[in-house]
Amino acid sequence: MDEQLRTLDAAPAITHSRKSESVGYVSLWRISAIARNAFREAVRDRVLYNLVLFVLMLTAASIFIGELSGGQERKVIVDLGLSAMLLFGMFIAIFVGVGLVYKEIERRTIYAVFSKPVGRGEFLIGKYLGLCFTLLVNVVVMGLGVSLALMYVSRGWDPLIPTIWPAVLLIYMQLMLLTAVALLFSSFSSPALSALLTFLVFVIGHFSADLKVLAASLGSTSARWVFTGLYYLLPNLANYSFITPAAHGRTPPAGFVFATAAYGLVYITVILAAATLIFSRRNFK
Amino acid sequence: MNNERLKSVTLGLVILVGISGAALLARWTDTLRPPVDPNLIDESLYLNDKTARRMSLGFNGLAADWYWMRSLQYVGKKFLQFEGNISLDELGAMNMKLLAPLLETATTLDPEFIEPYEYAAVILPGVDVQHAIRLTQKGIDANPNAWRLYHQLGYIYWRQGQYELASETYARGAQIPGAPVWMEAMRAKLLSDGGGRATAREIYTRMYEQAGEEQVREMARRHLMRLDSLDQRDSLRKLFAAYKARAGKCPDSWRELEPVFRALRIQVDQSGGPLDPSGAPYVLKPGACEVELDWQHTKVPLK
Repeated sequence: MDEQLRTLDAAPAITHSRKSESVGYVSLWRISAIARNAFREAVRDRVLYNLVLFVLMLTAASIFIGELSGGQERKVIVDLGLSAMLLFGMFIAIFVGVGLVYKEIERRTIYAVFSKPVGRGEFLIGKYLGLCFTLLVNVVVMGLGVSLALMYVSRGWDPLIPTIWPAVLLIYMQLMLLTAVALLFSSFSSPALSALLTFLVFVIGHFSADLKVLAASLGSTSARWVFTGLYYLLPNLANYSFITPAAHGRTPPAGFVFATAAYGLVYITVILAAATLIFSRRNFK
Repeated sequence: MNNERLKSVTLGLVILVGISGAALLARWTDTLRPPVDPNLIDESLYLNDKTARRMSLGFNGLAADWYWMRSLQYVGKKFLQFEGNISLDELGAMNMKLLAPLLETATTLDPEFIEPYEYAAVILPGVDVQHAIRLTQKGIDANPNAWRLYHQLGYIYWRQGQYELASETYARGAQIPGAPVWMEAMRAKLLSDGGGRATAREIYTRMYEQAGEEQVREMARRHLMRLDSLDQRDSLRKLFAAYKARAGKCPDSWRELEPVFRALRIQVDQSGGPLDPSGAPYVLKPGACEVELDWQHTKVPLK
């Protein structure tokens, strides 16, 4: 945190009267300073230690799964590796994400941050980008791990290696979305409740197609409106699940990846805007 | 040794002794546990296939792999429990209630996963043939370009003696782009010689070549061995007939036919008896011009 404050001190001076309330314009410098520190903090909190567990699991799978899977070890390695990537990433997004703001408030370091010319939105976006970078490192290393495991079982190049990366990209987008949701909840709620709510969003996000079907099958117009509204309100995370097709060597069409990326970007923008709106109403004086 | 060090060593010892003690106690408990009736433990799955699909969130591929591996282990365990020699495609006696739901769940979780359909086509007919047909058809509906599944469905019909249906299935599979030429040849062969040995040989040869699962390959290999043995026994009977025509009687021992075997380069054991495809010697029925497998030593399946 001291490091964060020092970095912020070095930021270009801004002249206005109420520095901690509003900074007038968004500074990429300040956002990147907060993001860098959020990443450093995650590394110091040993968040990336999960990679060790991942590597051990994948190594064991590569060696033993051939015996158990009836010759399907390549498919199992892709399924296992990408599912673990999603699962570990989800835990990081939820448990680190909900603590991003809360820890600063609990340690009272947030007062020191807001005594500098840092806006609430900049603080949230910086924290968000820092965790997203942590997750990026995580998924890239895990993706390389899966590729190496495939090379090990195939004794050389495996045609599944290039097909897993679009699925990795979609998993990363899903995790970015989930991080934003965790940040939104943590901006007004306790960590335990935020974690629970974010996990529920993850679960419901994978059921959102069912919400649409349910809405269509209901007789009552108001109920139909409610469920259709929920379908559009909640993130459709099923769109980001491309693990199973990737294990069969299929890649998503470029148009689909672009559409889901655009959807994710819009959704993240909305969530971060809502989080900033709520967070800027909190009193830290 | 100072106090801190002594504390660390003591705690380390407690951990080591504790883990060893727990392992020993676990082994002892295992010996005391009353045996469980295998028929009672696998009555049903906790989740049906559709519920499992809904609950898998984004992890349906991994869940499908888990159900697939469970199916393999389930069959393997049943084999170990079964006392006697049995072929993979005749498992009706083994009470495999869970196999169909396990494979059904694996394929609902990942409809593009071809291996469970193929496994079902080979193994399930011995348990529930209608379910096997339904599951293979489900695979064809989900993967209309997978010609291998037509081969498997044709195999099920062929095993049931429904040669026309089998032929039609091979014909449909032969039309898929990338399907091998022999699929079309199978269509004609099934119509002209559905129950014949040549058709059986063709089907099992293709199955052996195409199977991804080792148990299925082994089953096909054993069937090919049986077909080879049937051919060999027919040849031996012809030799007996020729011998009888010349000597006026059937041979009483293999030694009497030794020169013929040597001339024909037929492999024999120390007693002079010709070897079956698994390497066990055939048994001669003295004076009866008949030959049979040595059931105690052969690995050639009965049927």
